[in-house]
Amino acid sequence: MKVETTLTVNGTAYPLELDPGTNLLSAVRDVIGLTGSKEGCDDSECGACMMLLDGQPVNACSYLALQAEGSEITTVEGLADGDTLAPLQAAFLDLGGVQCGFCTPGMLVSATALLDANPQPTEDEVRIGLSGNLCRCTGYDGIVKAVLSVSGQ
Amino acid sequence: MATVEEPRTFIRPDGKEKVTGTGRYTADLVLAGELVAKFRYTDHTHARITRIDASKARALPGVLAVVTHEDVPDVLYGGMVQDRRLFAKDTVRFEGDIVAGVAATTAEIAEHAAALIEIDYEPLPVVTDFEAALADDATLVHPDWEAYEGEESLGRHHNTLGYSTIVKGDVDAALAGADVVVKGRYVTDPVSGVPIEPRAVIAQWQGDKVTVWTSTQVPYAARGGVAHVLQIPESQVRVVVPLLGGGFGAKCDFHFEGHVAALARAARRPVKLVFSRREEFFAVGHRREGMVIEFETGARADGTLVARKARLVLDKGAYCGEGGFFAQMAAMHAHGPYNLENVHIESSLVYSNNQPSSSIRAPTAPQVCWALEQHMDELAAALDLDPVELRRRTAIETGSVTATGQVLEQIAMKETLEKAVEMIGYGQELPEDEAIGVAIGWWPCFASSSGAYVKLNHDGTGTIITGAQENGTGSVMAMPTYVAAELGMKPEDFSLLYQDTDAAPNDMGSCGSQTTFNSGRAVIAAAVDLREQLLDAAADKLEAGRGDLVLADGAVSVQGSPDKSVTIAELASSGAFHGKSLDVPPDGPAAPAEGCVGRLGLESFHAPQLIAHAVRVRVDRGTGVVRVLQVAAAHDCGKILNRIGADGQVYGGVVMGIGQALSEGTQLDENGRHRNAHLTDYKLVTASDAPHIDIAWIETDTPNAGPKGSKGVGEPPCVPTAGAVANAIAKVIGARVHQLPMTPERVWEAGT
Repeated sequence: MKVETTLTVNGTAYPLELDPGTNLLSAVRDVIGLTGSKEGCDDSECGACMMLLDGQPVNACSYLALQAEGSEITTVEGLADGDTLAPLQAAFLDLGGVQCGFCTPGMLVSATALLDANPQPTEDEVRIGLSGNLCRCTGYDGIVKAVLSVSGQ
Repeated sequence: MATVEEPRTFIRPDGKEKVTGTGRYTADLVLAGELVAKFRYTDHTHARITRIDASKARALPGVLAVVTHEDVPDVLYGGMVQDRRLFAKDTVRFEGDIVAGVAATTAEIAEHAAALIEIDYEPLPVVTDFEAALADDATLVHPDWEAYEGEESLGRHHNTLGYSTIVKGDVDAALAGADVVVKGRYVTDPVSGVPIEPRAVIAQWQGDKVTVWTSTQVPYAARGGVAHVLQIPESQVRVVVPLLGGGFGAKCDFHFEGHVAALARAARRPVKLVFSRREEFFAVGHRREGMVIEFETGARADGTLVARKARLVLDKGAYCGEGGFFAQMAAMHAHGPYNLENVHIESSLVYSNNQPSSSIRAPTAPQVCWALEQHMDELAAALDLDPVELRRRTAIETGSVTATGQVLEQIAMKETLEKAVEMIGYGQELPEDEAIGVAIGWWPCFASSSGAYVKLNHDGTGTIITGAQENGTGSVMAMPTYVAAELGMKPEDFSLLYQDTDAAPNDMGSCGSQTTFNSGRAVIAAAVDLREQLLDAAADKLEAGRGDLVLADGAVSVQGSPDKSVTIAELASSGAFHGKSLDVPPDGPAAPAEGCVGRLGLESFHAPQLIAHAVRVRVDRGTGVVRVLQVAAAHDCGKILNRIGADGQVYGGVVMGIGQALSEGTQLDENGRHRNAHLTDYKLVTASDAPHIDIAWIETDTPNAGPKGSKGVGEPPCVPTAGAVANAIAKVIGARVHQLPMTPERVWEAGT
């Protein structure tokens, strides 16, 4: 049995019919068609699926889509201002924070939430704040530098 | 010799799509009418199959195809030994052997159908102890091993897939005459590559031709594999790699492209396979192998290494794949970057019913280096020498001759050691729960042919067409900078057409740290060819001598007459310019390797890369928990062409090395099944675990290196890290941890 719902992703409302068991990641990727968020593990370990729900980061693979009704959902596709990259996106590119790029969407979303909550984090706070997002390429160095640079450090 | 100082700016061309989420990885692609693929894996890790009945699965509504061995040509495949079938026929040999594939309209139906397939087995004894599998009376994993086609030099015998030795002088006499002899036995658990992108494959047939989109590091090997297992020409197979979400070796080799192509052909629909994280752990034929490593080294009182004896046993798992060279590669790492007077190293690569091992970033090196570098520190202690001083006295340098007879030219092993030691502050006063450990290692370049085209568009922009595969390192992304430099143009003038087997000449793929070495060389050669064409055309147009022309800033001008000039755009608008490479890889250095067996070419290390890592750790003696606080990594990788890219390889490789050292290890049960095939219990290093890393590049001018004097970069950074961590731990706890990974339990046990 499918349930009618509306999900608001990056400011756009999408009327949908979903199985109640559909997770948020699947709804956004497979039904809405925004594939920027990635599935790396399906059990909240890797963080590649991270989205913001009313500004709070969640692992979308482990969150029911229907629970997100009424919330503002933000994915990596919603971070830039039109064609202008968000400062964090630009800093990831400038400072070697991107290699294969598969963790990048979740990492950018987590870092956005981190800086919203704590605009002047210490390096340790950045590292702890991003410890729910796994990266196998960069050793985290460029990512941490990027977040610190955006916070003016 | 020079040290590279300042980072240079480099924005990767694929960067914007990666940070905006608009880039497409294989699992992001959707084809109209696509079906979902699921596999039915074996229920036993070693058994004979007596019956397969897929009738219930085929009858399930929503199932469009079920494929077993009966539905594909009866052929064996494998990179160095053909020992494997696409779908198991009469025998299953490890947890991930595939008996059948299903294509259905939904994942749930495909999974249900796979479970409905009835399979009867006669279980066979399971070979999980790979050291015991060496015995002549051990159960054979492949009773038909003699009938298999494979590389002749491997030295196959019974369960031994590869056997290699390094022999020099009389090691027993030298041991008997040594002032000090040290022995050690070390064991390593297997390790997984764990790219964050689980692999995905989509296949679509159009007439007799199949297009396969796949997350592979080696598209040409994947194409060859599909053609072989389906017995169709390579011209009927096109492999395209969308963005690749990391590989680390785990996505080398032909893997699942054949299964999905067979399913799509049977279903007459496009079929997509996306692995779960659990499958990415247990079902792939690539992991870092478990090893047993025994060393016995004799030295004179001054440290001179008069004898090294080593015995290595490597767990190959169920199938060979491309990893047949591991016995010799491991033997070369047991030799290590040291001057040795007498040597006897024997290395055996052994079949078992464990998951197949194959290339993972610097295959065999981190484990053997971890053992050897601990062994060297133990020798230093026995000699009452500082470990760094022992390495100063015994490490290779320019002019050294290896035990296989290779004369080493222009290498900076000792310089990297001194730099790492300087950066970490070796000898400083530290709290009693902290210590510094040092380790050194080496890694070869792999020369192979490659090809490329560079064409100009009519507006003066261009396209680089390369067979190279970008796995995230940036090696392909940097190619426009090389081409632009040859043509006096800007990197952003060029687009890249890559990862498409129909577009570019054959390429080895993203493996062996060789993309810049080989594919970069080919791209530069194609740019040089194009430059000559442009200069010819400009000479005609400007009525000037070829020797007077200068190519710079997007134009060709006559030296000394700046007004006589023609832009590249103007030249391009009037002709069809395209450069191509006539690629000849550099010759490797010779090594006579007299008396050595199992020779596959690795007896000489082509343009070797030298690495020294120094690490500072803190150990909690009460819990065994180790924290790496600081790493100093000094590398001789020849000339550095892209500092930000090269640094990125060290940051990532060192952190991967720390994972291998402390937390990453596959636990197998008594039947060779994974017990921790998920990221909850298989622990990668997180941002909060990762230490501060200082990097130094010692640039040397090694003969027969890659373009502009470069050597490989990608694999060396994870070679000596675990050894350096081990040596630091031992200094704190006063004991050696003899098993990798050095988990808190193992450190605590060793220290109490």
